[in-house]
Amino acid sequence: MTMMEHGAVRLTGLRKRYGPVQAVDGVDLLVAPGEVVALLGPNGAGKSTTVDMLLGLTRPDEGQARIFGHSPRVAVVAGQVGAMLQDGALLEDATVRETVGLVAALHRNPLPVAEALRRAGVADLGGRRCAKISGGQQQRVRFAAAIVSDPDLLVLDEPTVGMDVATRRSFWHSMREFSDAGRTVLFATHYLEEAQEFADRVVVMRSGRITADGSVAEVRATVSGRTLRAVVAGAQRSELAALPGVTAVELRGDQVTLACADSDTALRALLASYPEARDIEITAVGLEEAFLALTADIEEDPEEVR
Amino acid sequence: MNATYLALEVKRVVRGARFMIFTVAFPVVIYLIDANLFGSGGDTYPDGLAIAPSLMVRMAAFGAMSAALFTGARVALERSSGWQRQLRLTPMSGASYLLSKAAVSMLVALPTIVLVSLAGVLVEHVRLSAGQWVQILLGVWLGTIPIVLLGLLIGLVTTKDSMQPVTSVVMLVLGMIGGLWIPSNIVPAGFQSVMRIFPTYWLGQIGDAALEHSSAIGTAVLVLAVWSAVLALIGARRYRASLARA
Repeated sequence: MTMMEHGAVRLTGLRKRYGPVQAVDGVDLLVAPGEVVALLGPNGAGKSTTVDMLLGLTRPDEGQARIFGHSPRVAVVAGQVGAMLQDGALLEDATVRETVGLVAALHRNPLPVAEALRRAGVADLGGRRCAKISGGQQQRVRFAAAIVSDPDLLVLDEPTVGMDVATRRSFWHSMREFSDAGRTVLFATHYLEEAQEFADRVVVMRSGRITADGSVAEVRATVSGRTLRAVVAGAQRSELAALPGVTAVELRGDQVTLACADSDTALRALLASYPEARDIEITAVGLEEAFLALTADIEEDPEEVR
Repeated sequence: MNATYLALEVKRVVRGARFMIFTVAFPVVIYLIDANLFGSGGDTYPDGLAIAPSLMVRMAAFGAMSAALFTGARVALERSSGWQRQLRLTPMSGASYLLSKAAVSMLVALPTIVLVSLAGVLVEHVRLSAGQWVQILLGVWLGTIPIVLLGLLIGLVTTKDSMQPVTSVVMLVLGMIGGLWIPSNIVPAGFQSVMRIFPTYWLGQIGDAALEHSSAIGTAVLVLAVWSAVLALIGARRYRASLARA
């Protein structure tokens, strides 16, 4: 297979359970080299677990992760992947330059440390102890540590947590610089705006599954339709889902909620199939609300809580 | 093992105030106080062993033990801070990580052995032959290997919060019952047989053997080797288990 067919990232049937919680429940994902992909979802959607399995930090119960066609460990050893993890991951009692320098020294063909610090926008912090700088600055040092191996794939798990608006903006600028060189970026976030603004493609996760995947415009189209609510006696989920114009179905007893790309068509089809449908209500949903609807956990289902 | 990694690790350990106090200043000071109280002017134990040199060996061993335990236990901090996960995203293998940690512990255990010995020579006028010095310095240093492994094991099983108290208790037990603070040759036979269980007792024996011009350290070497093998095995299993669980 060529590099294109391997993909920069290929996840196949990934599953991971922690005790009673099915954190990741069958994730398949192919990311082409050069793509900037946002993994979007609320806290607990399984994003971090997915990222950990992709990086080889967590062993999947089922399925496998491949980076440029190799196992995660092989890709790590080859310096093909750099990552910014969500937790800590700095040496508190060492300086910024020492910390990033150490990561560089462990890799075979690293960037010059000063270059990595400059690209991350922390060139002036080199001599400071990691424990003595702000949370936003620490995040950028983590970014420097992630890019110092000069990887082809960059994985960022909630990279802007703890950053103020200005820091956030210059962080994404650094990230753009990196991806404009043709490298692949996969970042997990629960901020819709970040996904919209910085990703070529958005993969939405909910309850350990991928619920939407496409270009920013496509995902926006699926989530920015209207919501049709009605009481329908004896409604069948499969029939509802098959109605034209319907993108998602939620069924609680007789209470039907349909996410619609085209609510007019969906309503005509609904009434044709279920003439007795009543209490019909159609609402336009904002992008933010639609995203919440798409990603919200179903509270009644304890299996999916996390 | 990576030279940059080793150098930075040593630097980080030595930077800590706690390290300097417990493993460098403390053993030297305690040695000088004890030697002045009990062993001045060439006093000997009832069995004829000179007190000042014997105390020197034990305080050197104590300092080496503190350095080794503290350094190893710091692994617990790196586990909870997420730094260990970050290192797993580098080409450094898990085995290399643990070996490097052990090497750092050995390196930082050395200065305290030398300093306590220097205090012995300069202040307590301990005079020994070159052969005796080699056996003491090298013997105590290499004899620290099981303690280094014990420190690493503490680092692998404790958390950020429990690491400190667990290390302190282990230090106390090894110091008191392990025969570093209470000399084995003045305690009742029953107590002495308990002491023999601990690696620190045999660390002291290596030094005492040198002072008595004896090279009969076979038993000590054997016991310390068994301790090392057992601790290394448990540590390796523990490390693998922690990866599998993640």
